[in-house]
Amino acid sequence: MFRIFSQALLFSLTLEMTAHAFDEIKPKDDTEYIKKSALKIDTLIANFYRLKKLPVPEVTDDAMFMRRSFLVTLGRIPTAEEAWSFIEMEDTDKRAELVDYLIKSRGYSSHMTNWAFDLLRLRDNRQGGQGTNEPYRNWIREAMDQNMPWNQFVDQLISSTGNGWDPKTAAVGYYTSDRGMPLDNLSNTMRVFLGTRMECAQCHDDPFGETERKDFYHLAAFTHGQEQMNQSLMSRLWLELRDNRESRVIEYQVGQLFWDKIYGMSLGGGGEGRITLPSDYQYRDGKPGEILGGKTPFGKSVRTSDRNDDEKSREKLSEWITEKTGPQFASVIADRMWKRVMGKGIHEPVDEYIEASKTVYPELMTYLSTLMVELDYDLRAFQKVLLLTKTFQFATNPNPSSIDGGDDFHGRKIERLSAEQIWDSLITLSNGDPDKLPSRSVDHRIYVGGRPVLVGEMDMVQLSNEVLALKTEESVRKYYKDFLDRAKQGSVAKKSDSSMMMAENVQKYGVDSAVRASELPSPAPREHFLYLFGASDREVVESASKDPNVGQMLSLMNGFVQRQLVNKPDAHVYKSLQNVTSTHERIRRLYLAILSRPPTTQEMEWMQAEVESAGDQAYRNIVAALVMSSEFVFLQ
Amino acid sequence: MNHLELNRADELTRRHFMLNAARTYLGVHLFPMLGASVASAAPAAVGAGNKAKYVIYLYMSGGMSHLDTFDPKPKKKAVMGPTETIMGKADLEISGYLPKTAEVTDKMCIINSMSSTQGAHEQGSYMMHHSYSQRGTIRHPAFGSWVLKLAGPIHPELPGFIAINTPPAVTSGGFFGAKFSAAPIGRPEEGLQDSRRPQNVSEGDFERRLSLADKLNQQFHSRYPNADVKAYEELYRDAISLMNSSDLAAFDLSKETQATRDMYGSGNFAQGCLLARRLIENDVRFVEVQLGGWDTHYDNFAGVEGRCKEFDQAYAALLTDLEARGKLKDTLVVVATEFGRTPEIKSEHKDGRDHHPSAFSCVLAGGGIKGGVKYGLTDTSGGKVKNDLVTVQDFNATIAYSLGLPHDLVLMSPSKRPFKIADQGKPITSIFG
Repeated sequence: MFRIFSQALLFSLTLEMTAHAFDEIKPKDDTEYIKKSALKIDTLIANFYRLKKLPVPEVTDDAMFMRRSFLVTLGRIPTAEEAWSFIEMEDTDKRAELVDYLIKSRGYSSHMTNWAFDLLRLRDNRQGGQGTNEPYRNWIREAMDQNMPWNQFVDQLISSTGNGWDPKTAAVGYYTSDRGMPLDNLSNTMRVFLGTRMECAQCHDDPFGETERKDFYHLAAFTHGQEQMNQSLMSRLWLELRDNRESRVIEYQVGQLFWDKIYGMSLGGGGEGRITLPSDYQYRDGKPGEILGGKTPFGKSVRTSDRNDDEKSREKLSEWITEKTGPQFASVIADRMWKRVMGKGIHEPVDEYIEASKTVYPELMTYLSTLMVELDYDLRAFQKVLLLTKTFQFATNPNPSSIDGGDDFHGRKIERLSAEQIWDSLITLSNGDPDKLPSRSVDHRIYVGGRPVLVGEMDMVQLSNEVLALKTEESVRKYYKDFLDRAKQGSVAKKSDSSMMMAENVQKYGVDSAVRASELPSPAPREHFLYLFGASDREVVESASKDPNVGQMLSLMNGFVQRQLVNKPDAHVYKSLQNVTSTHERIRRLYLAILSRPPTTQEMEWMQAEVESAGDQAYRNIVAALVMSSEFVFLQ
Repeated sequence: MNHLELNRADELTRRHFMLNAARTYLGVHLFPMLGASVASAAPAAVGAGNKAKYVIYLYMSGGMSHLDTFDPKPKKKAVMGPTETIMGKADLEISGYLPKTAEVTDKMCIINSMSSTQGAHEQGSYMMHHSYSQRGTIRHPAFGSWVLKLAGPIHPELPGFIAINTPPAVTSGGFFGAKFSAAPIGRPEEGLQDSRRPQNVSEGDFERRLSLADKLNQQFHSRYPNADVKAYEELYRDAISLMNSSDLAAFDLSKETQATRDMYGSGNFAQGCLLARRLIENDVRFVEVQLGGWDTHYDNFAGVEGRCKEFDQAYAALLTDLEARGKLKDTLVVVATEFGRTPEIKSEHKDGRDHHPSAFSCVLAGGGIKGGVKYGLTDTSGGKVKNDLVTVQDFNATIAYSLGLPHDLVLMSPSKRPFKIADQGKPITSIFG
């Protein structure tokens, strides 16, 4: 694995050097720049120790470094093979090589996807109607796969408009999945991307903060106006169909397809830039029913008129958030990434921004937000910098941070793994490298009455693009009628074989699949392992929990782990024992596979004693015990 | 030996084995965890309510429209939209979507004057569940955790706080620690998952696994003396004594007759209510059951009608069943939500209603509460509280009062900050009989 990878590295290095010759290389692609930045952070941290007269923590051993890096970067433990080859490697620079390997792995974007889903409250299904968030889900996933720069990612969400099915515009799900609650959506936008909390100001002046309700409405003006594209062209037809819904089933179903899944998932225009104060507006500075234009609450001021609609108001808001809020936008994401890699944010909570000068280490915070900009908001490159620091390699410190609401930079804090990390690690043990499996894909087939039609002839992307392009009521009626006729024929002529055929092209994973958490239905259902271990229900921003409870213990002792791993003879973890006869070596391999380290002398004695008294069954007992151990579920 | 006896013998062997395993390897003392609560140290019950021993807390997640459930305004058509009303027992008028509940209004105290300062779900739900505003710097214990801390568990092995279909974010032990967090149940029909040793693992092997894991954990803990790590070790002990309990059947809905199950109705919430009743009968102190989907910004009336169908039969059955079993007098049944919905109907959102924290309704029944009364009053359109405003903290203090808990007892967090079960709340004492 590493050999192959080294070759690839050499190749990309050559490319980089060629690029260098033309002087086009950007910091994010510049290996030297990345290294220097890591060194700069270490220097800052060293200064911090000097200043506070703290002893510098020790550096972890290779095994712990490996486990930590895998869990932080890929969200899973290394496979037995990966662990093995890293431990055996003798290169002096192998830690940096490992970081390079990890950051470019497919597993990296799987782990980032969980993070993005938690942040954006991604749920596959919508309440009411037949709409789905699958295309939006896929858009987020692809953005993570392609390492879309954070500022572009945010810009595409905030300024989105168009067809919810088209992969180019599926980011509209950011708004359409919150349809009916645009104000909550806006509060979340401010919280997630700028670390500004405005939830209170939705209803009243914030008694603790500075935000007044009117400020909130001035801001809400930018995102006001989230109508569907051209849906009114179908209104009358839809009413007619609804009135006749029993007698003409397929007619209604096709209507519902158009209304809910095509129009309903689209987002028209670019915002209105104006909003009306609500009927319960209670302050003297405005009256219920008064129309407000857009006005941003801080940073470089951006406004929209209260007289005319501004078709570019979502774009304007997006530009303000990503470019006109001073260091705030960069600082919030830099702090989030620091937390993600180092375990603790420089400032926490990460969604309550404070100026760098008010953080525990202003120089570091300032440097990181500058670095984020220098790296063009490339989250992969930014995390790579952090992973390459000595700071990341510091030994574990069991004490909680000595600084209220932030990192004390004094060794890594011990913390339970997230539900997703535990799950992804368990399936790695039971099934081997999960990142070799294909990703799930969006089912673009057209369903009428629960059955795919016109498979191979047309898909949802084409159909929705055509429908949304229609400009008159007559053309909508005609298109509807033509499509209905085709669907009727299609559904009779070739419903079984064609749907079978196409099914192979759609990669779906049900709740019981042994795949990465990022590939499973979102949110995890209530009886799922992930939910039990505290995965977010994705109703509210980042609501995952790492609290233990008695149910988790039962699950590790008696449940999923026993069925899918310990008592499963063909589990991947047992494969590494094939053709190995030495008890000593077998125990060593189980340790490497599960805890990513060789056993200590004492542990070896315990486990050998177990084999002597329990025979072959002992290996299962050892696997069970290792997975039940705290070491397995805590990140050190 | 007949079949029954055989099972029983198995049960005893299993019990015996578990006790041994637990004692030998984990040093577990299978006594109630009384020492861990302040129950033994606290002065005799402070609240004069002091009738309830158990709480069944039914939480309507998303913000239940008070207008379309417990605080209808039949004279205001513009406010009510298509929602009609029905006259319940003891002349309590409620929404027509709740016909079965109308049969049990004589047992209920409907509080119409609830008022919260939190208009977003996360913050609103947090306040209902913790009595405090959400802060970045502290993790408050959930209300159920407070009850467990102040009153102690009753059953020696079963968890004292169980959360059915409820997110862990609102059932955490907070700074009391994981010991006070709820044991979660996803699907009531499946009971407490994995509470038995897998069939293909022998007792001997199970015992060996625990023994090995325990050695590893002790080693890990001595390397990292950390509260979270310790909590894990302790929870293993709780898990083992739970597996060892002869009352595991408390979690098994299949032990109920079909007639009883039908009486509650189908669905997670209905069966969750039934499970809650089984659990309190088995001396579980506090059970929360959630019913989601009340966030009816969009198409409010269809949404509320659908939610009420899930709620109505189950709730009425729960009160009736508890009463028939003589448990309503010492079980407080709470219906709570984070806020109400606006009197305005948003036609552009298909007749939706938005969040409305300034006035909403909650319901108490059992546990010494006088039935057949409404407490507090909103104005003619249900937008503002007119009389007897009840804050979230007052409401929680009232629950504490019903349990006879000292609602003004101050406990310090590890960071040395003072907290109370209901913050500054004052109980409404007049609604107790």
